[in-house]
Amino acid sequence: MMRQNVKKLSLGAALLAGVMAFGVAQAKDPIKFAAPLDYTAVYTFLTNEYAQGQKDYITMINEAGGIDGHKIEYASSDTGNQPQRGIEAYNRAQRDGAILFDFLSTPVARAMVNRALDDKVVMITAFHGRGDASDGETFPYIFPVMSTYWSQAATLIDYMENHEGGLKGKKVAHVYIDSPFGREPIPVLEKLASKLDFTLRTFPYASPGNEQSSTWSEVRRFRPDQVIIWGAGGGQAVSVREAIRNGIAPDKIHSVVWLAEADMEAVGKDTAKGIRKFEGTDNGVNSALIKELTAKVIDTGKGSGPKENVGRSYYNIGVATMAVSVEAARLAMKEFGPPLDGDKLRKGFEMIQDYDANGLLPKLSFTGKDHQGGGFGRVASWDGDKWVPLNDWSNPYQDIVWESIAHDAAAFKEGR
Amino acid sequence: MFYRLSGIHHTRYETARRLWPIPADRRQIWFLLVLGLVAPFLFSNFHLTSYIMPWLILSAAALSLTLLMGIAGQLHFGFASVMAIGAYTSIHLTRAGLPLELALLGAGLASAVIGSIFGAAALRVKGLYLVMATLAMQYLVDWTIINVPVISGGAQATLQTPATSFLFVALKSDMARYYLALLWVVFVTLLILNIKRTSIGRALVAVRDKDYAAAVIGVNVVRYKLVAFFTSSFLGGVTGAILAFCYYQAVTPEQFNFNISVQLVAMVLVGGLGSVLGAYLGAGFVLLVPILLTNIVIALAGMGWLDVSTNLLAHIPLMIYGALIIGFLLFEPLGLGKIYDNIRNYLLVWPFRHSKL
Repeated sequence: MMRQNVKKLSLGAALLAGVMAFGVAQAKDPIKFAAPLDYTAVYTFLTNEYAQGQKDYITMINEAGGIDGHKIEYASSDTGNQPQRGIEAYNRAQRDGAILFDFLSTPVARAMVNRALDDKVVMITAFHGRGDASDGETFPYIFPVMSTYWSQAATLIDYMENHEGGLKGKKVAHVYIDSPFGREPIPVLEKLASKLDFTLRTFPYASPGNEQSSTWSEVRRFRPDQVIIWGAGGGQAVSVREAIRNGIAPDKIHSVVWLAEADMEAVGKDTAKGIRKFEGTDNGVNSALIKELTAKVIDTGKGSGPKENVGRSYYNIGVATMAVSVEAARLAMKEFGPPLDGDKLRKGFEMIQDYDANGLLPKLSFTGKDHQGGGFGRVASWDGDKWVPLNDWSNPYQDIVWESIAHDAAAFKEGR
Repeated sequence: MFYRLSGIHHTRYETARRLWPIPADRRQIWFLLVLGLVAPFLFSNFHLTSYIMPWLILSAAALSLTLLMGIAGQLHFGFASVMAIGAYTSIHLTRAGLPLELALLGAGLASAVIGSIFGAAALRVKGLYLVMATLAMQYLVDWTIINVPVISGGAQATLQTPATSFLFVALKSDMARYYLALLWVVFVTLLILNIKRTSIGRALVAVRDKDYAAAVIGVNVVRYKLVAFFTSSFLGGVTGAILAFCYYQAVTPEQFNFNISVQLVAMVLVGGLGSVLGAYLGAGFVLLVPILLTNIVIALAGMGWLDVSTNLLAHIPLMIYGALIIGFLLFEPLGLGKIYDNIRNYLLVWPFRHSKL
């Protein structure tokens, strides 16, 4: 309570000094971002690092004075991956004036799409939520911000085709958790199988993925040339372990974005050498932005979590989501002036062109139509100690990806 | 005091057998009903849509399950799947052009039929074996919804509730949706209260307490178990539909998964098996306490009293919540409703010490 009183006293004194010094001084209203995430249920494997990245980036922005003097307030809470708690957190934050939401939970994000559209607030759904929200005409206030799962599948296939000896006549196994998330890339994979003339076969395993032995026995009998694993959380380490146990070389295993350092540690760092995964942000601490963040926030003791997390995959994704959001807010503030609202922020997102967050991201560009930012990504390989990118940023087969986007966006208009 | 019995004389059986014979009880019920009716004007939209309406709808769900678990004594650990059938059926029927009134009936019937099929296991097994049968229902329904795109809505596995109206009132505003939910929960409440004092209710209680003895005195155990499953599933199905149309407005399989089934059982147990008031208290406890604890903990952290990591901040409410459940069940094993009943019994004969009621 003492801290609170001191804060109020300091603020009052500062305001008084400001008024006396300049005659008329207007308080800069804060810009409010809300991030009710899932800390306790399904997404626990990444929420801590992700939220730490988000908060550290916002701390850096606020330490530099915010956007034109407007500080950013970041409100976080736990939804437990439950739509009803997401609804409560959303209503509370929206009542308090939040203009940007990140739920990092597909069930909650899907339940909130209509509310965000009706209330005209921006919801970012990086690597979760509805992939068809990339269609900005159908979903004007929803921004996937980074590659959808469809784009990730296309990037993995493109890498196999162009850098791993081609796919014509080969066999590709798609091993996935039996959920809408696991099944989502299958339409794109099937179209690519027709286009590139490879054999695709899909192998589901039961949620949550702790037991996958029988599935991988089937995969072994299929004798695939390439394997795609599509799971999340603890199931990913199980997938990798079972794949290796069934004679599949690590460099034949390709994963969706949800494969990180913790999974490699679970499998065994050296055992997993060669595993590939899709990545949508730079990894490690080499990008200029992460270096700046380290110098200004981490090394000065203002970080919001363990220092070892800085540069890990999910931390960097968290930083990237806030970097794009702050850039949108900056552009909107410059173009429309304060106070910011959801509609201005939406237009700010759509004004972003070739933004790479100082090397952390591929160059993202958004338009009124494209809320995915172009669908860029690349493939990274585990070298026994860290992830190493294997190719340049690219966004292959976007025509096929957008077929899925358009198809599902049309379904949304029908109520699905 | 509030619950005086002196001066109350019943000269006809009807007055003695009323739902609430004591004037104090009637006044409380009228107060609550009026409070429910004027809630949209008393409370902010935030409190209405985030707390009161889901509380009412989940109370209806807890009441539906109370009929089965509390009154009839048949365990059900897959009740969320019953609600899922109702939710999905109602959406598909309204999308096909049926008015919502008929879609709700269809939702209830679909849930009742499928629920009764699984409930038929109750004719041969009891207790934990029945739990396994109803768990099988949960997983089968989950699997079917996820794997049949025409049911789930395809790749995004999301179905939106179409724009519709109920009794010529468009469900466009939060107020309209609230009143539909209130209407349903009042109906379910009165239904359960009346079932408890009819021959059907007494037969169900007999089946619960000792089914062999019930059979000996002439109760058709098979028929009444099926009646319990059918009725409970019907009510659960319509409640699932109300949940979809009034609250979620877009349904996904995760809204009706096993965790929800466990929460529904928790509502019934914490509130008190067979207690109508307990269903409300249990639903409020299970729905609102985690949210309130989360908000309190965040407020404390914001004021600087709790300087811990966000991860621990998110888990503290779970610890407190678990302790609260254990604490309440230790304090009153018969549930939250019993606490109220104890207070009421005490006041009935106050200032005298003992009560025979």
